[in-house]
Amino acid sequence: MSAAGSPGGQDRISPTDDAGVRARLAASHVAVVGCGGLGSNAASMLVRSGVGELTLIDFDVVEESNLNRQLFFRDQLGRPKTEALAETLLRITPDVRLNVRTLCVDAENLLGLVGNADVIIESVDRAEAKAMIANTVMRELPQVPIVCASGLAGFSSANDIVTEFVGGSFYLVGDLTSDVRDSLPLLASRVMVAAAHEAHAAIRILLGHPEA
Amino acid sequence: MDISVALFAYLSQYQPDGLGGRQPRAMRFAQDTSVGDVIGFLGLPNEPRVVFVNGRHAEDESLLSDGDRLAIFPPVAGG
Repeated sequence: MSAAGSPGGQDRISPTDDAGVRARLAASHVAVVGCGGLGSNAASMLVRSGVGELTLIDFDVVEESNLNRQLFFRDQLGRPKTEALAETLLRITPDVRLNVRTLCVDAENLLGLVGNADVIIESVDRAEAKAMIANTVMRELPQVPIVCASGLAGFSSANDIVTEFVGGSFYLVGDLTSDVRDSLPLLASRVMVAAAHEAHAAIRILLGHPEA
Repeated sequence: MDISVALFAYLSQYQPDGLGGRQPRAMRFAQDTSVGDVIGFLGLPNEPRVVFVNGRHAEDESLLSDGDRLAIFPPVAGG
């Protein structure tokens, strides 16, 4: 399916059409760019919600320092995050379709990795990579909605994390200010709030009810 | 020409009135002013940013027109 028309109000699934919701999500494809604290948790929520296909992109391996907020387990230490996450997601939903891409995204390979998705979730950690992904997608794939995260570190109120429609195909999740570079810790509770916002923003886009 | 400029997160401290906040400010520039010219005028740091004009993605080279609404977001790290 294509969600391109959804932000404009087309292809809206009725909130009470449970079968329609299930069918739409089962036919949907979300690309998750970055499988750390945001991406691993968002991916699990998408799979539990019934999204039928995910592309999982990350270059990194599971480290002990990840276990405080990322959906990995001690027996997965040292394994590529994409493969470890895929294993967990298949335990949740054995027939979910997963495209595992263990590599580092850049401006050259990004479009080939995410171009077939209905929605893209940006869930990397570095500000430079966030800007590159957002700018490249909006420039080259303006019809594909992208949900980005900015501002989720620290332990200020979780209520400060919101989902906003900024313009074009761009949705933004976070408090916009809490920067991990300011020595703020990354805590599972707040990271997962942001991950849930990203997953839910994607689901609402897919169902034709995007954040306005 | 008159445009409005909204600066988000820490960039709001670069609003000329010094008051911060994400609400847009009215500014006047010469014709053929680009997004990059406004960024230079405001003295924004050379940090990653995402730029919109009238709710559509724009580049530093994009030329502005009278009545345009410019918004600049700085992604912050963490994920």
